[in-house]
Amino acid sequence: MLLKYLPTEPKIGFMKLRFGAFALSLVLIIASIAMVATRGLNFGIDFVGGVVIEIETSTKVDIGEIRDALSELDLDGVEVTEIKDNLVAEETGTTIALIKTKAPDAEGEAVEAAVQATASGILSALKDKFGDIEERRKEAVGPKVSGELLQDGIMALVVALGLMLLYIWFRFQWQFSIGAVLALIHDVILTIGMFAVTQFEFNLSTIAALLTIVGYSMNDTVVVYDRVREEMRRYKKMSDTDVIDMSINRTLSRTLLTSGTTLLALFSIFLLGGEVLRGFSFAMIWGVFIGTYSSIFIASAILLHTGLRRGSIGGGENENAPHGAQV
Amino acid sequence: MLQFALWKRLLVIGVVLLGAWLCLPNLLNAGQRAGLPGFMPSETVKLGLDLKGGSYLLLEVDPEELQQNRLLELSRDIQRTLIKKPNNVKFRGREVVDGGVRFRVMEPTQIDEAKRRVRELSSPVGGIGGQQSLNISEQNGVMNVTFSSARLEELEVEALNDSIEVVRRRVDGSGTTDPNIQRQGSNRIVLEVPGLDDPTELIELIQRAGVMTVNLVDETADASQYRLDEPRLGKVKRQDAYSAREYVVHEDPILTGADFATASQGFDENNRPQINFTLKGRGPKVFGDFTSEHINDSFAIVLDGQVISAASVRSPILSGSGRITGSFEIQEANAIAIVLRAGELPAKLQVVEQRVVGAGLGEDSIRAGTTASAIGLALVAIFMILAYGLWGVFAVISLAANIMLIIGSLSGLGATLTLPGIAGIILTIGMAVDANVLVFERIREEHKNGRSPITSIEIGYKQASSTILDANLTTLIAAAVLFWLGSGPVKGFAVTLGIGVFTSVFTAFVLTRMFMADWVRTVRPKKLPV
Repeated sequence: MLLKYLPTEPKIGFMKLRFGAFALSLVLIIASIAMVATRGLNFGIDFVGGVVIEIETSTKVDIGEIRDALSELDLDGVEVTEIKDNLVAEETGTTIALIKTKAPDAEGEAVEAAVQATASGILSALKDKFGDIEERRKEAVGPKVSGELLQDGIMALVVALGLMLLYIWFRFQWQFSIGAVLALIHDVILTIGMFAVTQFEFNLSTIAALLTIVGYSMNDTVVVYDRVREEMRRYKKMSDTDVIDMSINRTLSRTLLTSGTTLLALFSIFLLGGEVLRGFSFAMIWGVFIGTYSSIFIASAILLHTGLRRGSIGGGENENAPHGAQV
Repeated sequence: MLQFALWKRLLVIGVVLLGAWLCLPNLLNAGQRAGLPGFMPSETVKLGLDLKGGSYLLLEVDPEELQQNRLLELSRDIQRTLIKKPNNVKFRGREVVDGGVRFRVMEPTQIDEAKRRVRELSSPVGGIGGQQSLNISEQNGVMNVTFSSARLEELEVEALNDSIEVVRRRVDGSGTTDPNIQRQGSNRIVLEVPGLDDPTELIELIQRAGVMTVNLVDETADASQYRLDEPRLGKVKRQDAYSAREYVVHEDPILTGADFATASQGFDENNRPQINFTLKGRGPKVFGDFTSEHINDSFAIVLDGQVISAASVRSPILSGSGRITGSFEIQEANAIAIVLRAGELPAKLQVVEQRVVGAGLGEDSIRAGTTASAIGLALVAIFMILAYGLWGVFAVISLAANIMLIIGSLSGLGATLTLPGIAGIILTIGMAVDANVLVFERIREEHKNGRSPITSIEIGYKQASSTILDANLTTLIAAAVLFWLGSGPVKGFAVTLGIGVFTSVFTAFVLTRMFMADWVRTVRPKKLPV
């Protein structure tokens, strides 16, 4: 079928571009860190504590009126947004609004109770004004828990990176694991930077997305690495640069196809999966691009600078020794 | 690689059929499921609270309050042991300060006796040989008694276990269906109640300390001489829970919550709500003696520091049962009865996290999730068939089997499907074809290099296997870390991602290979179509 027209072995000189790519990545990393430092992340209540309430009014209501109703409550920083593209709300002529506010300024125990009080205050103010409203969702997270959730999230990322580093070390060589892990750190920083730029909410599912991106990027890297290892055994005389270029080219159609199907699936979550999964699928879509890029230009390119010794590759350490070695 | 023995073939078909079998109940509605014969599976995928609606509460035992409560108890025990005759120790200024109990021994000659008596209250933590439960220090006749660190730890564990039990009894008592109560960490309790979209009342019920006492009312005391809830000379002023009335009561209770055997809500002859109770243990005798000696005196029933009912004794109550009447509503009477039955909490519970999802949003989420999955699946299927033709069809059939196996595994394992879990399935749909693609690309390469179709397929599978192993193991590592360190919905995502790794390796590597083997041997193509 269509794939017939895709060459099995394109001849793109990826490694020639690596210094340009390093420079680009460095600029993006600095820009990401700068964005996070200046603009900051739009942390969800999972990580800073606070209240999120989603309501559906019984009739169409202007979002400004909801804001007015809440302005009397003396809360600092209330965000009210309308969820516009909801089919249910359009059919029934109702308004679905998302109300978000940070944890009130209080100390210790009082703040946990204050968070709960804020939630009920908001709801009763809205019920007074608009009568019958449906509470679709209510989340109140105390600052004590939210701090721990953030810590656990960071912990999960670090542990995952560490385990993958060990795995690659074990299956390949330490030079490979350095490349892979640098690429992963690169992906994580750029993704967090993207969240700072777009101000999409950064919450628990974002951490899940980050870990999945790490998994995806690693998956991609491993496919290229496997090929590099195999071709290095097969073409003992060829230069490292050429072997790596050839490996990337030979796995390129696979990379494009898998990224293609994954993106198709992710775009359908992004567009149709509803409000809650939007930030999550956004992160993943970005991650697929960045993960594919980094497995070529970071993970593989770094192999040229880690002092890889060809002699130690192969020699029966891999029981799935490639067939082609006898060609 | 392309030889499939009959038993292998049967095994593969068996696994796929098992997946379909476990999947089946999900396609039926509740009525049809009830009609299924007994040998059929009836378990559907368990939906998380974010999909079916309900309340999630994270409760925390307040360690400071716990310590304070236990110190007050200790303080009473110390008083009891010091005033024991003969040779009662004279002391003054017993108070709970700075995490300990402090008092002054009046006679220097009695200091050693005081130490000895307090030491008798101490016991080794965790059996003989363990660290002592109390630290006792003395300076110039002032004694300071604190809990040792081992005892404090032990108190926390006990308190959490007791709290879980009390919460369970209270939640069950309130008629809530299917609650899930779990410990989390060293001082937290997770309470999940499906279908409950307004947990306000439940929270109130859970947060009641439930400390119930029956105290003698001192009718001669002048209430204006006392400050509310601050004991003075063994008496304390308490407010009525339903009116402005105040009572001065003796601090030492006649009965405590532990003396009550049962409690239930009922009605009096005027059809007003009341609480019926029976006493146990020493309760009936103590109450009988008290009511015999105090005809015409009043007693107050105090719950969490407020008087819920007061009555005067008309005649001795020797039956060990009685009733509490007051100005409460049915609901309140019912709540009090539940709390009395369930017992008191060792310390107040705080709600540190609350997540409520209405049924409407849950339905919307399921609809959005299934639409997104269906469209994602369709797009991937079209893409694969356009790319690989017949081979794409093989891959798509495998993909369908893969999803069936995921849903079947979720049903069979009783794992919970959450909204991020649906995202995990969709992501698996996208990535599942990866193993197929890896193999197909290898075959294409080998074929281009001039190998025969059968050899190309053979070598393609062999070459791709180590890559597939590495690629999937790394994803599995990510899923395991998410499951291990994640909470709630994130865990749900990890479960589907992890299951997806196994099922997609199986379908891509075994099922598709079987299709390929059959095809290549039946058709015997001279040239491969890619």
